[in-house]
Formats: sequence, structure tokens, C-alpha cells
Amino acid sequence: MVFTVACGGGGDDDGSTEPATSDGTDTTGGSAAPSEEGEPVVGGTLRVGLEADVDGLNPTASALAVSGLTMAQAVFDPLFTFATDGTVVPYLAESMTPSTDFTEWTLKLRAGVAFHDGTPFTVDAVIKQFEITRNDPLVGLAVRPYYPETDAVAKIDDLTMVFKPLEPSQYFPSALTAQLGYIASPTWLDALAADPTLEQQPVGTGPFQFDSRTEDSVTKFVRNEAWWGTDLVGPVYLDAIEFYPVPDADTRTELLLNGDLDIIHTTDTNQFETYREDTSLTLDISEDGEEYFLMINTAKAPFDDVRVRQALALATDRQGYYDLFNGGEGQLANQMFTPDSPYYNPDVTQEGNDPEGAAALVAEYCGENPVAEDGSALCTDGKVNMEYQWSGPSVLATRIADFYNENWSSLFNVTFDEKSQADHIQEAALGLYNVVGWRQFGAENPGDDRVWLECRNIGGISLNWPRYCSEERDALIKEIANPANPDERTGLLQQLVQNIHDSYAYIFMTHSSWAVVHTDKVHGQCDRIAPEGSPLVCSTNGRMYFHSTWLS
Amino acid sequence: MRYYVQRVALAILLLLAVSMLTFGALNVLGDPLFNILGPVAGDVNNPDSIKMIELAKSEFSLDRPLPVRYAIWLSDFVRGDFGVTFSSTGQPPVSGVISERLPRTVTLVAMAQLFAILVSIPWALITASRAGKISDRISTLNAFFLVAMPNFALAVILKFFFSIKLGWMPLTFVADDPLSSRLFQMILPALTIGLPVAAVYQRLLRTDIITTLQQDFILLARTKGLSRTRILLVHALRPSLFSFITVVGLNTGALIGGSIVSETVFRIPGIGSTLVESVLRNDFPVVLAIVMIVASSFVIINLLVDFAYTLIDPRVRR
Amino acid sequence: MSAVNSSAGAETAVARKKLGFGFWLCIGWLAAMVFIALFTPLLPLKSPTANFLDSSQGRPPYSPSWKHWFGTDKDARDVFARTLYGARISLTVGFSAITAGFLVGGTIGVMSGYFRGWIDRVSSFVFVVLLSFPSLVLAILLTSLIERSLLTVSLVLGLLSIAPVGRLARAATLQYSEREFVLAARQIGAKDRHIIVKEILPNVAIPMSSLALLGMAVAVVAEGGLAFLGLSVEKGITWGGLIQLGSDASKTLEKAPWISFFPILMLFLTVLSLNFAGDRLRTFFDVKEMTL
Repeated sequence: MVFTVACGGGGDDDGSTEPATSDGTDTTGGSAAPSEEGEPVVGGTLRVGLEADVDGLNPTASALAVSGLTMAQAVFDPLFTFATDGTVVPYLAESMTPSTDFTEWTLKLRAGVAFHDGTPFTVDAVIKQFEITRNDPLVGLAVRPYYPETDAVAKIDDLTMVFKPLEPSQYFPSALTAQLGYIASPTWLDALAADPTLEQQPVGTGPFQFDSRTEDSVTKFVRNEAWWGTDLVGPVYLDAIEFYPVPDADTRTELLLNGDLDIIHTTDTNQFETYREDTSLTLDISEDGEEYFLMINTAKAPFDDVRVRQALALATDRQGYYDLFNGGEGQLANQMFTPDSPYYNPDVTQEGNDPEGAAALVAEYCGENPVAEDGSALCTDGKVNMEYQWSGPSVLATRIADFYNENWSSLFNVTFDEKSQADHIQEAALGLYNVVGWRQFGAENPGDDRVWLECRNIGGISLNWPRYCSEERDALIKEIANPANPDERTGLLQQLVQNIHDSYAYIFMTHSSWAVVHTDKVHGQCDRIAPEGSPLVCSTNGRMYFHSTWLS
Repeated sequence: MRYYVQRVALAILLLLAVSMLTFGALNVLGDPLFNILGPVAGDVNNPDSIKMIELAKSEFSLDRPLPVRYAIWLSDFVRGDFGVTFSSTGQPPVSGVISERLPRTVTLVAMAQLFAILVSIPWALITASRAGKISDRISTLNAFFLVAMPNFALAVILKFFFSIKLGWMPLTFVADDPLSSRLFQMILPALTIGLPVAAVYQRLLRTDIITTLQQDFILLARTKGLSRTRILLVHALRPSLFSFITVVGLNTGALIGGSIVSETVFRIPGIGSTLVESVLRNDFPVVLAIVMIVASSFVIINLLVDFAYTLIDPRVRR
Repeated sequence: MSAVNSSAGAETAVARKKLGFGFWLCIGWLAAMVFIALFTPLLPLKSPTANFLDSSQGRPPYSPSWKHWFGTDKDARDVFARTLYGARISLTVGFSAITAGFLVGGTIGVMSGYFRGWIDRVSSFVFVVLLSFPSLVLAILLTSLIERSLLTVSLVLGLLSIAPVGRLARAATLQYSEREFVLAARQIGAKDRHIIVKEILPNVAIPMSSLALLGMAVAVVAEGGLAFLGLSVEKGITWGGLIQLGSDASKTLEKAPWISFFPILMLFLTVLSLNFAGDRLRTFFDVKEMTL
């Protein structure tokens, strides 16, 4: 797809979703109640079109973006999950109780659960998972605040343990609703250490289990007959799921329309009209999740100079981008919150569409004849040298790159580089880029987006991708996690938005519209419930869930 | 006998040369380590990355000198072990990829050849018998046009008219469909490759037939009262058949090249489209295997055509 | 890609030494293309990369109109300008490739044909090796491994034409070097170089040059094929690339066929002109005997 997501880059605490499906329109026939669709039918293989493939499905180490998380959700269960009303409810876990000062959290696990390979689900499995995750150079960064080096946990009994996060956090469970909360079989994790290729064959507790996989081609999961959720949450109807990575959005749509795929996700808003026209398709759009933006590496010249970052923003024709590539869907983004969010800061807008302002800044910068560490000139012929990277292969992404080239070429000498999504995320983590197209933010609990923003997550491998450090920001983040007065939280978040803007590390473009589209043979996408009864969302930012799905 | 042995030996030598050229080009001009591991290949400060680099190096023998690697590859290749694709897990094995996709390409090329032959023979016969007349001139012009249209452009045009506007032909190839559907889905792609080649065949055949028709024995047959059709089909065609078959064999290479484009446009997962995908992904083992298979078929077909030639006309054996 | 094969057919039953109206029409088109390729930046065209968004027309692609003669593509870029700019790379590569091929292949061929011996054996073997790949496969292989600039892509395609051209040059040279006047010249003790330049080359060059147009047609088609697959000059506007962009998604092809069709038309007319003119020339110089 177009730009990578880093929402899976590491600790994924972006359980972003909001009540139901927001402004999405549903075409006819897309009702959620089973009674209107008939009785669920057991059987069938669901064919899913994803925007990318993954390198592996190891929650402790893989860089899981949307596609990876979709696959992971089929074989793993998260400890907690978000209900449609925005509250965090237990899923694989039974409960999580904080101490009064929020420095300790007591986790109780569900009894009688076993992994696909028969290993019993106990506190030892959870502890082992967190240990291993903490030691991973990438994902570890996300989990360390909750699982420090020393004195991180206390085991009470086989099903009870106590977490002692580094800093007090009032919202800890929300961090366990995605990658950090997927618990894998300890037996499998042990085997992984000896044979890393087993990363491709995940073993969890989920409604489906691993069957077969051919990289960049198809991954197949089959029903887990012994799933713990069968009684508590509902039976699994599908016999099997086949995941097909199709990076090009046009191709993915074509395959769906031809009947070669049953369900896909996409952020390509150009296709929405096509989906709406076809009455046999059901369209589920969520818009309150991530933002798409241009992300700038502030640690590497020439973008270590804020003037150059500002110039790039001013040179970008955001309105033109919206007209060409959004075609009336979704909306331009100024910050990580949409205007109808309570945390929206109306004083913060994203600059752009000011070629003269950009030219002035570039002239000033290049006038100083800046030189890189290795002695090479950072400006050539009065234009700044830079590289723009994106993930592909994708015709749409290439068109967007051409569009940016049109915008920037009078002031920047741009070299363009297309990479696979996995390579793209890796290079970003290693800081080997100037400017990339990226998707991020939109965690249901906005405080969980801290992992991309804190100073301590900058390193050889960095989850703070732009490598921008601000002590003021760090302090704000700590307070947001543990506000003395919960009413102040809104104000604090608005300050955070201002701070992010002032870093000029991001050029916000649009709020991502994630669409999940399926044919009329697919039912039950929105029928999930949590063990304690709350209804759960149909999809989260393009991540799809399948345990309640059935085919007619 | 000696001639045959010589030719076979030459063919083998040829294939060895082809394999060396390709292997060398890929490994010298490309960067295998990067293609396997991605950015991690350059991340030499990170102990985890170093471990992965060492693993990849030993798995793919990247630390040995080039001739040794070539020898290893060759000994595996002739035994049918095409190695594994360039991915961090080495899955899937290349031979699996090839065995799944080769039949589709073979079918496509065979269908194209069939169309070309079935179309060109009657076309040539009719135009030869009406040489010089308006219909012949028009047909020559048409043939010209057909040859001038590059096959990818023809593919787009055919797709537009027959799949999209008229809806007669399906848009995509679905691997899971039953055989009859799949063959139907291949008709348009096969026509794309086959029609221009049919024009080439027709041109040749027509010239040959015209020459034959001017021979005495044709005149004799006419005076004997044999029907025009019989004369055309039986007497005029026969002498030309032989060189026709030669050209058909020699053009298989062009058809194979055409299948690359056709498979890409019509999204058929055969070795042609796989070659393009693997080349864009720099997946060397797959590229190498496909190039060798294509070159081998090419060489073998040329060899067979050569042998057939000598069987009929021993004078050619020089 | 077998544009070079046996002769034109019944219409030359009476050897007509006239090139004909059709020939000159094709030459005219080619001249126009060359003019466009050379002078596109100076022509009053819209920018080929700018996005001409026009909210009054809704979302691109816009169909052909007075403002955009060939319409626009999905990013509101002017197809007419892009098609004309496409001529630059396509024709330049075609021309450079065939020139390189003729110069190198021709030289090797003449040398082999005249001197025979080990030069002939080695070069023949090399030719045969090069010819055992279907040319598109070799082109794909080589272009994928290099930095694809105008120069390198032309060189690759040039490399591919060396073998066919070399073989033809060799055959022609073989024929002429066995003629009496050459044998006589050698008898007198004339220098090889002298013989080649004065006797062989003029006789070989004329028929070879009539094949140049046909060769260029093949090169243009080859570049188009590479561009279509994404393997021609990086970031360059080419006919093959334009066709691919306009046909990749069925929806685009269905709703806005002009994006592909105009480049297809230009490419077709150019290749047709090259083929037709080349064929006429070949008949004119009566090159029948040269083709193997």
C-alpha cells in the first residue's frame, strides 16, 4: 500500500477505535445483526487480501503493521480489548486491578486455556513473553516502560501476577490490547531461539491456528477446535482463512471485484466510489484512527535543521494531494486528532502550500553552504539534496511520489526509493532515511502513542522514528499517563499536539480512511463480543477480526 | 552420427556458457546479501544483525569465491535442486515455484503456436491463390499492421475490446478454476502472442506457395482436372511445409518472449510474469532458474529443428 | 521479434525500382517524430509532469478537450505533452541502440567474414550464446541489474543487436570476399585493411544500412517492452511506461482509455513507418540474397 504503517512497529498500543464505524457509510446489505442475515453456517475458507506480507508473526520481535496484526489476531488473543464504547475490557485475561497509586497492577488470567500446541496458559507464559520482548531491540522499546529491567513482576500463583511498571500509569491495560498483549506459547518461544525460521509458524491461543505459509504468496490458518472462547464468546464458523498479500491497491480491488478475494482492507480512497456502486459489497470505513503524514528524520542532515523541515512542509501542496488522491473522501489532517475529538487543539494547523516561503527558507539554508559529516555538500545548485522513501510496489504510491516530485523539485534534488514494507520499516527503525511516507497515531487511548514520541525510544533502533527528543514533551507524556487531576488531561493533550507541531518532524496530510470491504458472502464481521458481554468493533484501523465471521 | 554428437556437445557447451554468463552477471552486478536480508545487511554495528548476516552467508554460500559458488549451483541445478528463494526463511523452494508455474506458460505458448498455425495456413493459401488482387493487398497491409503493433500494446487493445467493452473474455486468470475455464481464460493472452506470429508465418508461407504454384507439376495437375482446393491443399502446401515447420520451431523463442508480456498484462502466474516479478525483487535464484529453463528450451528446440532439417536434407550436414 | 525474414513477395515480381508514395509518407512521419524528439522542450506544450487539477471538472482523469487534446491521466497530467515527451527516450534509445549494434556488430561481422580463423570461431560462438536467449529475457536480465539511464539502456539493447547484425554482416562479407575482384586484389598483395575499406565495406554497407530502419523498429519495440515492464530509463517518460500506467488497472482502461491509446497510436505509427520504409528500402536494394 501507499505508506507504511508503523502502528505495528513495535508495542502496538493503538487500539484505535471508536464507537462503531464512525462516518463510514455502509452500502445496502451490510447489517450486523445475525437475525437479518440468517443463521451462521459452519464451514468454508475465507480469502483475505492484505496490503503487505510480514517477515514473521512473532509478537516478541516482528515489526507488525496492519497486515501483520490482522494475521496475528487470528492466531493470538490479546489480554484486553476495546469495546465499542471505548472502554477497555478483558479478553484473554480475566481482570486487571491497579493499586491506589497506580504503581502496581494485578493481572488475573483466565483458567482452562491452552495454546495450540497443548501448553497450558499460565502466568509463566506471560512472564516469559514479556522477558523475551523486553530483550528485543525494536519491540523491546515499547514494552520497557511496563516491564523494566528489574523488579518488573511478581508471580502470585499460576493465574495471578503483579506488574510493576516503571512509572505510574492509569491506563496500563490499554497497552495490552494489541501486539504487546498477544500471548504466544512458551514452548514455541523456546523453539524459536534455536530456529528463527519458526517465526513463520506462530503458536498462540487464538480461534485459528497455523496451517501453512508461502512467503509473499499465501498464509493459511485453520480453525482451532479447542478454542477457549467457543463457550464464552461464540463458536468459530470458518474452516480456514487464507491471507494473500497484494501491495497494489488497484489489484486488490480488482481481485475482490472478480471474486478472487472475499474481504480486503484498503486506504485507497479512490476506490470507495467503486465499492459504493457495487451493491453486492459491504463497505466499513473508519476515519478516527491513524494519520498519514510525511515523516522526517531530524537526526540526519539536511533535515536536522528546522528551516529545511519547514521548507519541505511549505513546498508541499496538501490541498492538491487531497484533491488528487482522496477525491472527496476523508479529510485533511492538521494534527493527530480529528476536529470532533475532545482533544483537538484548534490553534494548531499544518502549514503547506506556500512555495515562496519555502523558497526563502531554502535560499537562506543553502546560502550557508552546509556540508554533511562526510564532507559532501547538502545543497547542489541552490537546492537541498534529499531522499524520499515509501513502501511498495504500488502504482498509487508511485503516482504520489511523482506528485511530491512536482511539488518539491524546484527547491529539492530528490532521489526516490521504493522498498517493500518490511524493509521500509526496518530502514526507518535504523534511521536510514530522510523523508518517508508514514501512518501513525490514533491510539484509542492517545497516551499510548507515547512510544513514538519519547526520548528514551531513540537509539540505534528507534521507535521514535523521527528521532526527535524534547524534555518538555517527555514531561507532558508522563503527566498524561498519570494525571493528578483527570480533568486536566485534555489540556495536556492539546499542549502535546502543539509541541508535536513545533518539532516540524511531521507534515500531516490526511486522516487515514481505512475501509474494510467484503462481498455479500461474508457475514458476521460485526458480531464479536467480549467475554463479559460488551460488543466489540468490526475492525480497527484496517485490522480485521474473524472469529465471528461466516460464509454463505 | 558424428554430426549429431557434435551438435549436442555444442548445445551443452552453449548452455554452460549461458549459465556462466547469467550467474556471473547476477552475482557481480547485484548484491545478493542485500536482496536476502534487506537493510539489515548493512547494519554492521548491531550484534543481532551480524548473526543474521552470518546465517545468510552460510546458507547461501556467499562467503566462498565466485567460481566455487558457481560450481555448487551447477551441481545442484543439474540434479533438479534449484535452490531456495531469496527470503530470510528460504521458503518457498525455487523448484516448487517453477513446477507450479511452468505448465501455465507451456500451455500458453502451445496455444499461441496453435492459433498461429491454424490462422496462418488458410490465410496464406487464400492470399497465395489470389496473389496480386485487392484482397491480397489488403491482407498484406493487415499483416504489416499486425507485425508493427508491439505485443504489449496489442494485449492492451485486445483486453480493452474483448474483456472490458464486449465482456466476451474474462479479465483475469484464476488458478483454482477448473481446467476448461482456465483454458478459456488463456485464449485472449494466447491470441495476443499468436496473431503477430501468424502474420509472420503467413507472409513466408504465402511467398513459398506462390513459388510452388508456378511450378510445372501444378500445371500438370490442373490439366489433369484436379480441383483447385485439392491442388492447393495437397500439392502446393507440401513442399512448403518443411521450411514452415522450421520457422515455427525457430519462432518459439519469440513466443516465449511474448509470453512474458502477455502473462503480465493478463495476470497469469506463469514463469514469464514470475521472471519479471523476481527480477524486480532481485530474487536471484528464481531469475537464474527461469533464465536457464528458457534458454535450455530454446537451445533444445533449435537443436531438434536442426536435426529434423538434416533428416530431410542430408546436404545440409556440413 | 522476427521482423527480418524473407523477401516481400509477389508485388516485386516485376522488380520495381521505385520507393513509392507510401515510403515517403513514412519518412515524413519519422522526420516529424525526430523533430518532436529533438525540440520538445522548445515547443509550446504544457508541462508533462504538472498536475492540472481543475475542480470544475471534478476528479481526473479528464477526457480529451480543447484544453487537453489527448485528455489527462489520473493525476491530471496532460497526455498530449507526455506522449510527445515520450518520443524522446523511445526514439533516442532506439537510434542509439541500433547505431551501437551496427557499429560493433558490423565491425565484428566483417572481420569474422574476411579473416575467418579464430576470430570467426570465437565471435560466432559469442553470437550463438547471445542468440540462445530470447532477446527480451536477456534485456530484462541485464537492465534489472544496472542503474538504468539513457546510456545504459541503449547499451544493453545495442548489445542485443550485435549478434543478429554481426551474423548478417559476416554472411555478406563472406559472399563478397569470395568474389573475383577481392581474390584478385589479394593476389596483387593489397593490404587487408585497404581491401576491406575499399571493396568489402561499400558493398556490404549499402544493404546493411537498408536494414538499419528495420533494426531501429525492433529496438523501439524492445525499449517499449522494457518500459512497459518498468525496466527502461528510471523516472523517464516513455511510450511503454505511459501505456502501462494507463492499462494497469482495468477500471482505468475502461473509464479512460485515452491514457493508453494515444501512446499506443504514436508507437504503432512509428514502428509501422520504420518497418514499412525499411522494407521498401530492402526491396529497393534487392537484399533478398542476404537474409539467411
